[in-house]
Amino acid sequence: MDLVQNFPAVSILICLFAGIISSGLKGKAARYVNIALILAVMILNTCTLGYVLHTEEAFVYVMGKFPAPWGNEIRAGVLECFMAVFFCMIMLLSLLGGKKKLADEVEEGKTFLYYVLMNLLLSSLLALVYTNDLFTAYVFVEINTIAACGLIMIRQNGRTIEAAARYMIMSLLGSGMLLMGICMLYDLTGHLLMSNIKEQVAILSVSGQYRIPLLVTIALMSVGLAIKSALFPFHAWLPDAYGYSTVSSAAILSSLVSKGYIFLLIKIIYRVIGFDIFEASKIIDVLFVFGLMGMIFGSLSAIKENDVRRMIAYSSVAQIGYIYMGIGMGTQAGMAASVFHILSHAATKSLLFIAAIGLTDVSGGSRKFIDLTGAAYRNKWAGVTFTVGSLSMVGVPLFSGFISKLLFAQAAVQNNGKMLPALIVLGISTILNAIYFMKTVIRIYTPVEENKYECVTFSSMKLYAATLVCFIGLNIILGVNSQPIVDLIQQGLSMFS
Amino acid sequence: MYYMLLSIFFPILAGVFLLALREMKVRKNLLCLTGTFLILEAVLVILALCMSRGEMLLLFNLTDRLPILFKIDETGVIFAILAVVIFLCAGFFSFEYMKHEKSEKRYYGYYLIVLGVLIALCFAGNLITFYLFFELLTLSSMPLVLHNRSREAIMAGLKYLFYSLAGAYMALFGLYFIEKYGNTLTFSAGGVISTQTAEQHTALLLGIAFVMLIGFGVKAGMFPMHAWLTAAHPAAPAPASAVLSAVIVKAGVLAMVRVVYYIFGASFLRGTWVQKGWLVLTLITVFMGSMLAYREPVLKKRLAYSTISQVSYILFGLAVMDGDAVTGSFLHVLSHGFIKAALFLCAGTMIYMTGKTKVEELRGIGKEMPILLWCYTIVSLGLIGIPPTGGFISKWYLALGSLNSGIPGFGLAGPIVLLVSALLTAGYLLPVTIHGFLPGAEFDGNTSERREPSLFMLIPVIILTALTVAIGLFPNGIIAYLSRIITKIV
Amino acid sequence: MGANLFANYGEAVAMILFGIGFGNLLLQSNLIKKIIGLNIMDTAIYLFLAEKGYIDGRVAPIVVNGVQEMEAYINPIPSGLVLTGIVVSVSVSALMLSITIRLYRRYHTLDLDEISLRLKKEEL
Repeated sequence: MDLVQNFPAVSILICLFAGIISSGLKGKAARYVNIALILAVMILNTCTLGYVLHTEEAFVYVMGKFPAPWGNEIRAGVLECFMAVFFCMIMLLSLLGGKKKLADEVEEGKTFLYYVLMNLLLSSLLALVYTNDLFTAYVFVEINTIAACGLIMIRQNGRTIEAAARYMIMSLLGSGMLLMGICMLYDLTGHLLMSNIKEQVAILSVSGQYRIPLLVTIALMSVGLAIKSALFPFHAWLPDAYGYSTVSSAAILSSLVSKGYIFLLIKIIYRVIGFDIFEASKIIDVLFVFGLMGMIFGSLSAIKENDVRRMIAYSSVAQIGYIYMGIGMGTQAGMAASVFHILSHAATKSLLFIAAIGLTDVSGGSRKFIDLTGAAYRNKWAGVTFTVGSLSMVGVPLFSGFISKLLFAQAAVQNNGKMLPALIVLGISTILNAIYFMKTVIRIYTPVEENKYECVTFSSMKLYAATLVCFIGLNIILGVNSQPIVDLIQQGLSMFS
Repeated sequence: MYYMLLSIFFPILAGVFLLALREMKVRKNLLCLTGTFLILEAVLVILALCMSRGEMLLLFNLTDRLPILFKIDETGVIFAILAVVIFLCAGFFSFEYMKHEKSEKRYYGYYLIVLGVLIALCFAGNLITFYLFFELLTLSSMPLVLHNRSREAIMAGLKYLFYSLAGAYMALFGLYFIEKYGNTLTFSAGGVISTQTAEQHTALLLGIAFVMLIGFGVKAGMFPMHAWLTAAHPAAPAPASAVLSAVIVKAGVLAMVRVVYYIFGASFLRGTWVQKGWLVLTLITVFMGSMLAYREPVLKKRLAYSTISQVSYILFGLAVMDGDAVTGSFLHVLSHGFIKAALFLCAGTMIYMTGKTKVEELRGIGKEMPILLWCYTIVSLGLIGIPPTGGFISKWYLALGSLNSGIPGFGLAGPIVLLVSALLTAGYLLPVTIHGFLPGAEFDGNTSERREPSLFMLIPVIILTALTVAIGLFPNGIIAYLSRIITKIV
Repeated sequence: MGANLFANYGEAVAMILFGIGFGNLLLQSNLIKKIIGLNIMDTAIYLFLAEKGYIDGRVAPIVVNGVQEMEAYINPIPSGLVLTGIVVSVSVSALMLSITIRLYRRYHTLDLDEISLRLKKEEL
C-alpha cells in the first residue's frame, strides 16, 4: 500500500485533533492552527488527487483491522479528492475574507471556539466526501449540523439564535429521515458499506423483491438530504441563517455545508442505490420538479427582499434548485452539470457574501439597498467583485455561471421529456436573476451627492482585497478553463460506479 | 492576423485603462488621450482588414466543443467599417457635447469598450463567440444609457438590460440545439445544418430559428420586443444615442444575418412559415415605428421610433431572401447608420445650443445654424429615400428584390408598406426643417442671430452627411463588393 | 398484509412513533415539545433497529459456554448502531436545549412563532 493512500484518513483525523488542540488555545493561535490545518489538508488531498489521477482508479482504505463487509472503509476517487481540495480552498478564502468582520462580531474570548467549530466542520465535510460507510456518513452529517449551528450562533443576537433553532429543527427532520432510510436499507440488505449495499440492491431489484420498501428507502434518504440542503420548499430557515450570521459563516454555510449534503446524495445515488435504479424510481421526477420550483420561487423571494444579505441567501435557494434540477434530469450529463454547479455556486456565492460585507461596511453597516447607494465607489474592490459575482450568477460568458447553465442546457437537450420545462425555467430564472442582481449592481454604482460615509483605502484592507482577487480568479478559471474540470468530473462520476 | 486581436482588445484595454485612471484635472488631457485611442483603433482596424486573408484565429476553448474564434469575412467588414466611422465621428462630437456632463472619463472609458466589443462582434467566427460578445455589448453599453443617473435613465437602462438579456437567452436557447443538430457552430455561408438533419427535424429546427430571430430581434428593435429602444436611446447623451441607434442596433441585424444565412442557410428557411412570420413582423414594425414617430413630439424620441422603423427595412430585405433585397439591406445598413448618426448628432447639437427638446419649439434654428440644418435636411431626404442619397439606392434595391422574389402576397405588400412608411418618414422628419427655415409670421426673427456650433460638433455631422451622399452618388463599388457576399449566401 | 403487520408489530409501532415524533418536531410551535418530538422520533428509529436486530430464541453474542454455531447468536451490529445513535441524539438534544434556554432568556417565551414575530418588530 502506498503512503499516499493514508492521506484521506489522516486528513480527517488531523482535523479532529486540531479541533481538540484549538480548544485550549487563544483566539489568534487557534486561527493560525486552523489556517495551517486547511493548508495541510489541501496539500494532502492534492497529493491524493494526483495519485488517483495517476493510477486511474479509486482506492479503498480499510479503517482498522476488519475487512469488508464488516469494517469501516474510506474510498477515494478523483471526484472525492477534487471536492476535498476545492472545499478547503473555499473555506480558506471565506475565512480570510471575513476575518475582520469576525473580530468585530464575535466576543473577544470566544474566537477560538469559532476555529474549533471550523476544524470540526472541515473534518465532517471530509468524512462525508470520503466515507464508504453509510452509518459513518450519518454520524458525520450530525457533526456537520452541530458545527454549522455553532457557526450561525457564534454571533450572538436574537436573530441568529432563532435562525439556529430553525436550522436545527429542519436539519434534525432531515437527518431523522436519513437515519430511518439508512436503517431500512440495512435491514433490506444487511450491509452498511456502500459497495456491498449496492450489490444487494442490484440483486433485489432484479428479483423484484421488496420493491416498495426500497422505494420508500430511496425517498426517505433523498428527501432527508434535500431538506438538509435547503431545497425548496424546505428553505424557510435559510435566509435568517445566512443573512444574520457572521459573514464567513454565511459564506461557508451556503457554499460548503449544503454542498456536502448534496455530494452525499450524489454518492448515495451512484454508490448505494445505483444510478439506473435511482433513475427508474419516480423520486427523481419529484426532485426535478422541486428543483424547478426552487429556481423560480427562490428568485422571486430574492426580488422582493430589501436586504442585500438576505437577497443573496434567497438566491442560494434558486441555485440549489438548479443543482436538484440537474440531478433530477436523470442523465450522466445532468449529474455532471450538477456537480459543476456545486463548484461554480460555491465559488460564486461565497464571493458574493464576502463582497457584500465590504459594501455594507462602507454604508454604515446597513444592509438596506437605499443605504448601499454608491457603495461601490467607497469600496472599489468590493464593488468590482460584487459585479463579477452578479454577472456570473446571471450567466454571462467568461464566468463560471455561464458554463454551468450551458452544461444544464446541454443535458436538458439530450433528455426529451424534460427538455422544455428545464430550458424554459432556466430562461425565466436567468431573467429573474438578472433583475435582482443587476438592480443591486446599478444601485451600488449610482453616485450619491453628499458623502455620508468614508471611503476605504487599499492599504487598510490588503488581505480582504487579496481574497477578493483570488475569488475573482477562481471564478474566471472555472468560466474560461472549464473543460479539464468537466472532464475530471466525468471521470470521477464514472469512477463512482 | 494579430492585428485582428489588437483591434479587438486594444480599445477594450484602453477603455479599462481610462476607467482605472484617476480623475484628471485638465480636461484637455483626457480628450487628447481618448482621441489618440480612437484614431489608433481606426488604424488598427484598417490594418486588420488589409492584412486578413480570411484565416481563423482560435483564442481559446471555452469547452471542447465551444471554441472562441475570430475570422474576418466580407459581412463583418461592412459592419466593422460602419462601426469605426460612426464611433470616430460621434467620439469627436462628444468632445464638445460632453463638456458640461459629469464623469466624462467614465463615458469615454465605456465608449471605447463598446467599440472594442462591437469590432469583436463583427469578427466573431462562430455562434458562441458571437453570443459572448453580444452579452458583453449589452453590459458595456448600459453605462452609456445610464450616464446621467437620473431616475428615468436608470429605468431605461434596466429596461434595456432585461429586454436584451431575455433576447440573448432566446438566442442561447437556439445555440443549445444548434450545437446538437448542426455540424459546427462556425459561421459558414449557406448554413451548418446538413440536409439530412434538416429533413428529420424540420419542425423543431424551424421553431428554433424563429425563437432565435425573435431573440436577436430584440437588439434590432423588432416587434414584439421593441419597447426598450424608445426608452433607452433618448435617455443617453446625444453622441451615445447616435452610436446606439446607428451601430449597436445593427449588432442585432448582424446577428440575424449570421443566424439566417450562416447558420440555418437561406435555402432551409425560404418559403417556410418562419420566413412569412418574419416578414409579417418586419412589416408591422416598419409601419408601427413610422406611425409612432409621426405622433411623437420629442425630437430624440421621434428619432428613436424612426430607428425602429428603418431597421426593420433592413430586416425586411433580409427576410425576403432575394439577392437584390439583401443587397438593399446591406446598403441600408450603411446608409441608415450614417443617416441616423447624423440625425442624432444634429438633434444633440440643437438641444445643446438651444436647450429645447420638442419639435414644436425648434423654430427658426435655420437662421441660427444654417449649415447644421442643411445637413439635417439632406440626411432626412436620404432617410425618406430621395436621390441622390444612399437611402434612395438601398430602398430601390429593397423594393426591386421584394417584387422579384415572388413570395405570394408579400412581393407587393412589401413595397407598398415601404412607400407608405417613406411618406410618414417625410412627415416626421421634415417639420424640423420647415419650422427651422420658415418659422412662420409670428416668429420674432430679430432675436436670433447666427451662431453655428463649434467645429467639433459640425465637422462630424458634415462628414456623415457627405458619406450619405457619397453612397448615393457612387454606389457601384459597394454593390460590386456586396455581390461577392450575396452570391455566397443567397 | 394483516398477518404480516401482526407478526411485525414492533416495526409497525416504531413507524407510528416515528410519525408522531416527526409531526411534533415539525408542527409544534413550543420548543420543548419540539425537542420531545425529536426524542420520540429518534427513539422510534432505535426501536426499529433493535426490533430488526433481534431474532427469537437467540442470545447476545457473548461467549459463555464456548463458541456455539452461528445460529445461536443475534447480529450485534444493530445494537452497536443504536448505541452510536443514542450518543448522537443526546448531543443534539443538548444543543437544542441550550438554544432553547438562550431564546427563553431573551424573549421569555418558548413559542418559536412568537419569537419570530418579536424579531420582526425588533428590526435588527
